[in-house]
Amino acid sequence: MNSSASKTEPASHHDGEQAHGHIQLVYQPAVPVSKGKLAIWLFLSTEIMFFTALIGTYIVLRFGVPQGSWPTPHDVRIVEWLGALNTFVLICSSVTIVFAMEAAKHDLADNAKKWLFATFALGCVFLGIKAYEYNSKFSHGIHPGGPRSLLYDRADLHYLAAMKQSCDEQLAVLEKEKTAANQAVSAAPNSEQKSDSETDAHSAGSHSHDSEKLKNLVLIRDGMVMWTQKIVGRDDNPRMREIALESLAHQINPRGENERVDTHLASELEQVKTSLAELESELGDADKNVAELQKAIDALNAGEATEESKKQLEEKTALATDAAAESSRIGNLIAPLKARVAAMEMYASAKEEGINETFHLKLPMVIPSGNTWANTYFLLTGFHALHVLGGLVAFLVLMLKRLGAERAGVLENVGLYWHFVDIVWIFLFPLLYLF
Amino acid sequence: MNETSQDQNHTKSHRGVFIAVFVMLCALTGLSFWIANSHLMENRMVGWGAMMAVSVAKALLVILFFMHLWWERAWKYVLTIPALIMGVLLVMLLVPDVGFRTETYSKERWSHAPIPGADAVDPTAKHIALPNK
Repeated sequence: MNSSASKTEPASHHDGEQAHGHIQLVYQPAVPVSKGKLAIWLFLSTEIMFFTALIGTYIVLRFGVPQGSWPTPHDVRIVEWLGALNTFVLICSSVTIVFAMEAAKHDLADNAKKWLFATFALGCVFLGIKAYEYNSKFSHGIHPGGPRSLLYDRADLHYLAAMKQSCDEQLAVLEKEKTAANQAVSAAPNSEQKSDSETDAHSAGSHSHDSEKLKNLVLIRDGMVMWTQKIVGRDDNPRMREIALESLAHQINPRGENERVDTHLASELEQVKTSLAELESELGDADKNVAELQKAIDALNAGEATEESKKQLEEKTALATDAAAESSRIGNLIAPLKARVAAMEMYASAKEEGINETFHLKLPMVIPSGNTWANTYFLLTGFHALHVLGGLVAFLVLMLKRLGAERAGVLENVGLYWHFVDIVWIFLFPLLYLF
Repeated sequence: MNETSQDQNHTKSHRGVFIAVFVMLCALTGLSFWIANSHLMENRMVGWGAMMAVSVAKALLVILFFMHLWWERAWKYVLTIPALIMGVLLVMLLVPDVGFRTETYSKERWSHAPIPGADAVDPTAKHIALPNK
C-alpha cells in the first residue's frame, strides 16, 4: 500500500531544498486508525482463520457422520440451558465492556473501572460454569482420549475385551483392599483398642460400599461379560452375537429406549429360567440318586462282608462316583445360568439409567462417535476458554491503572478482542449444544 | 466520512444502540434455543441452517455495533474479507473428502461404522431394524 505517498509542494520544495538540502515529506497513515487498533485487528484476522479452521473441521466431521451415530446431549451430559446461560453471560459482558470504553472516552475513570470489573466478574462466571460442565463430563468417564476415557464407538469384541479387563482390574483392587481391611481388623484387638467412634462409622460405611461394589462387579463379570463372551464365542448365528454385544452395551449405558434389546433380553431371560428349572430338577434327581447309593453303600458296609456284598459294594461305589460326577456336571451348567438370572435382576433395578449410572460404576460404555465428539468438544471449548482466560488477564492488568480518556484506546482494543471471543461462542453454542 | 466526522462519532455516546443490540442478542439466543426444540428440527438441515443463520445475524450485530465497524471507514474490509475467504475456502476444501465421506463408503466399510449400515436402512431410525432371526 503506497498511500503513505509523499506530498510535495513545489514552491516550498524549492525553498526547502535550498534551506535544508533535501525534500520535505509529509506522511499520511495507510489506514486511518491508531497503530494499536491496527495491530489488534491484524491479530483478530489471524484468530478468525484459527477458529474458522477449528469450527469448520467440527462442522465437516459432524455433518459427515451417519444419521443417528452422533451422541445425543444426554449421552455426553450436555445441559442445553447451561450453554444458553453462558451465552447470556458473555453477551452481558460484551455490553459491560463497551460501557467501560464509553465511560473512559468521557474521562469517567471510576465508572470505567466499575464496568471493567463487571466484565471481569462475568468472564469468571463463564469459566466457572465451563468448569462445572467439564467436571460433569469427567465424572462420567468422558475424556478427550487417554487412559481415563471410558468411551467406545461400537459394541464389538474390542468393547467386550475392555469390559472384561475393566471388571478384572477393579475386582483385583477391591479384593486387595478387602484383604487389607480384614487384616487390619484382625490386627486391631492386639493394638490400641480406643478408636474414634466416628472413624469407625466412616470406615464401616466405606467398607459396606466397597463390598456392595464388589458384589455388583462379580455379578456383572459372571452374569453379563462372561455370558456375552460365551454367546459370542459359541453361537453360530451372527445376529445373535451382535445382539448379545449390543445388549451388554445397553445394560451398562442405555442410549434411550431400545426395543430390540428389550425384546431379546426378555425372551432370553424366559429361556434361561426354563433351562434353569429343568436343570435344577435334574440336579435334584441326581443328588437323590447319589444319596440313595450312599445309603446302600453304608448299609453294605455295615452288613456282613460276603463275596456277594463285596461285589455289590464295588458296583454301588462305581455308580455313586458316576452319579456324583453327573451331579457336579449339572451344577457347573447351573452356575452361569444362576449368575445370568441374578445379573438380570440387578439390571431390572437399573433399567432407566443403566448400570454405570445407577451403581456408580466406571465401566467402558458405548457411545457411537463418542470419541470424535469428545475430541472436538474439548478442543473447541478448551481453546475458547483459554481465550477467555487471556481476556481476564488483560482486564486484571487494566484494572490496576487509571482508566481515563488516555486509556480509552487500550480499552477499545481489549474490548475488540473480548467481542471476538463472544462471537466465537455465538457459533460454538448452537453447534455444540443444539445440533 | 472524513476524519472530523469520524472523531465526532467516536465521542458521541451509542449507549441506546448498545442496549438495543443487547436486547436483540438475547432475543436471538432465545430464538436458536426455540429452533432446536421446534418442528424445524424434523428436517435437520432446515433446523441447522436456521440456527446458523441466527448465529451469523448475532455475530454481525456484535461486529457492526460492539466492534464499531458500522462507524468505521472502508479499511475494515482489507483485513476481514481475506480472513473470511480463507476460512470459508478451508471448509469447502474439507467437505468433499471428509464431509461426504460416508457417501462413498463400501458395504464392507459400513460394517465398521459406529452403527453398521445405519443409513442403509431407515434414515430416521436410531437402530437398525434386523429381520427376524
